[in-house]
Amino acid sequence: MNITIDKTDEGFLVEIEGRIDTTNYNEFEGNIAHLYTEKGATIYLDCSRLDYISSSGLRIFLTLQKKVKIQGGVLKIFSMQPQIKEIFDISGFSSIFAIFPDYSAAKEA
Amino acid sequence: MNRKRLSFKIIVRVLLFCFILGGSIFTIYYLFARKTIERESRENAIHLAESTVYKIEEIISPAEMIPDNLAWIMETNTLSRDSIYAFLKRLVRNNKSVFAGAIAFEPHMFSEDQYAFAPYAYRSGEEILSRDLWSPAYNYFIMDWYQIPALLKKPYWSEPYYDEGGGGVLMTTYSVPFYRNINNSRVFAGIITIDISLEWLTEIVNSVKIFDTGYAFLISGNGVYVTHPNASQIMNQTIFTFAKEINEPKIREIGRDMISGKSKFSNVNLKGMGNVWIYHTKIPSSKWSLGVVYPHREMFAGLRNLNIMIFLLSVVALVLLIIATIRIIDRQIRPLSKFANAARSIAGGDFDTELPAVDENHEMLELHDSFRFMQEELTKYIADLKETTSAKEKIESELRIARGIQTDMIPHIFPPFPNLPEIGLYASLESAMEVGGDLYDFFPIDDDHFCFAVGDVSGKGVPASLFMAVTITLIRSMSDKNRSSSEIVQSVNKTLTINNESNMFVTLFVGILNLRTGELQYCNAGHNPPVLLREGQEPLMFSNTKAIPVGIFEMYDYCDETVMLDKSDQIFLYTDGVTEAEDVDKNLFGEAALIKALSENRDESSNELTERVKQSVKEFVNDHMQSDDITMMCITYWGKNENKTKQNK
Repeated sequence: MNITIDKTDEGFLVEIEGRIDTTNYNEFEGNIAHLYTEKGATIYLDCSRLDYISSSGLRIFLTLQKKVKIQGGVLKIFSMQPQIKEIFDISGFSSIFAIFPDYSAAKEA
Repeated sequence: MNRKRLSFKIIVRVLLFCFILGGSIFTIYYLFARKTIERESRENAIHLAESTVYKIEEIISPAEMIPDNLAWIMETNTLSRDSIYAFLKRLVRNNKSVFAGAIAFEPHMFSEDQYAFAPYAYRSGEEILSRDLWSPAYNYFIMDWYQIPALLKKPYWSEPYYDEGGGGVLMTTYSVPFYRNINNSRVFAGIITIDISLEWLTEIVNSVKIFDTGYAFLISGNGVYVTHPNASQIMNQTIFTFAKEINEPKIREIGRDMISGKSKFSNVNLKGMGNVWIYHTKIPSSKWSLGVVYPHREMFAGLRNLNIMIFLLSVVALVLLIIATIRIIDRQIRPLSKFANAARSIAGGDFDTELPAVDENHEMLELHDSFRFMQEELTKYIADLKETTSAKEKIESELRIARGIQTDMIPHIFPPFPNLPEIGLYASLESAMEVGGDLYDFFPIDDDHFCFAVGDVSGKGVPASLFMAVTITLIRSMSDKNRSSSEIVQSVNKTLTINNESNMFVTLFVGILNLRTGELQYCNAGHNPPVLLREGQEPLMFSNTKAIPVGIFEMYDYCDETVMLDKSDQIFLYTDGVTEAEDVDKNLFGEAALIKALSENRDESSNELTERVKQSVKEFVNDHMQSDDITMMCITYWGKNENKTKQNK
């Protein structure tokens, strides 16, 4: 797993590479935890290179979404690979996250 | 540690070094010593020869003076016959080395009327006698002693000879020509001779002793042996006949050099003596030559003896060195064996093993300290390990108990309801860890309604298991005949969401089956869609739910859905531990493989079907570590009061 966070004009662009599972979800949360306190920020999660996510990882997504909302911000997820999208679909998470096909679509919305 | 072998190795190296060193020193010493001996012997030989020559000259020179002086007297004075005899007799008497003396006149030189006159005085015992040498039988004019100096006009030493008249004594004759003034011209007048015994010469030369077998010898101008330690050679053999006899051309060469008066060193091999040096030099007054013979073997005998002594001493020194080395090494490394024993006993668990005592200055002190340090660290480490192990054991035993409790929370006796013929049911839950977050449950709500649930808490392990326990308890307590499946889910959601700071969530499928009608009412909160197996059809997956897992939003609205089951229809429920089971390359088992496994075994009973799917997953995973909890449940609907046709399959 490799996380890169860039501060952009639009907000924060978080790129997730690899797998998020029970062995590294703590590390993932540690990497993005500072975003929990960003006021009114728009956070973009680039999932184009996310290969797998377990329920532990989904919980961090959920936590991030809740924290961002409390700070008045927005969480946008884009470029999900089909198998990740399927996990979101099965669990019903697709209905509670803002999911976009790509970065530009996410920015426009 | 093999102490003996180590000693041996060190000794071999030390000895080899000593051997090479000793050998080099010895070789240098030997060459140097040999050279020195050679040089000294050479100088010695020259010195010996020169001093011998000097001794000979010391006797010859005065002897030569006699006829020289006499010649002068004869040249200036005219003596009468009687006075010549008297003069000669006195001369012989007064000179011990002179055996005889003669004055031989040229024809008619002494007096006109006398053809030849040669007065001669000689020793005969104690007496000195005299006579005229001339007689018709002894024509002295043709004798060597007369003819040669007369022709050469020079003094002449004759070849040595044995004098028959003189009692077999080795003699030589020294002849000097003399002159007279006649009519104002110097005319050759005759020869003056003295005979000298060579006994003294033999004595002088034979007194030269070189080691045991070395010697000196004298040869005449013709190469005849004048003196030789072997008396039979004297006057009987020349150096050239000797060379021929022993077949040694080098000797002949030496002989030539000798009679031509050279001084020279030569190296020859003499029969019976081995290699010898011969140094020769001439006797200046005569044409004779002196040779000294130096036997090599004896020349270097001292050196050889010294070498033997050195060799013996070296052997003794080496033996002493070996003994000393063994003892030193033994003493130095004795602690090593003790350390080895200590190490063994430490390895055996005795950390308090006493270490071998080592002196303050001993080379092994550092090893000793390292051992002590190792002992202390081991003791500390083992103490820590014991503590950690006991702590870990405590946690493990607690986890085992927790596992027991969790296992007891879910029904695990199959078939569960023997008095409920409308359904066949089998379920299985395997945690990836001691405790897990998967759950299933089933129970009749009333005579006609049968409730079942399958759920999956996010994450796994202890946190998930706590959440699972709460969830399963909530499902049980919330289910009654007045609640629909969605109402049960909603109630569970509300309770779980309160104070859920960690954002744990549960995907949950709750179904209520009407045993009479086959109507299945269900609510799927983000759970994997179950599969419907119907006779004559391919396995059919329920559509994905739109509802989110429970525990996230308190006010979320969950909806009911319904499906009608035919008799012998089967519902297969599972958690993502099945579809997301991973092999070693992190490939997922997937929905397609699940459908395939179900399709292949769809005629089996709930029990068998579940076990077969579990087997398929196991084969796919192939011993790779189980990454997530795996839960499956299969319900076969038989309908009310019907024959259980499928149960015999």
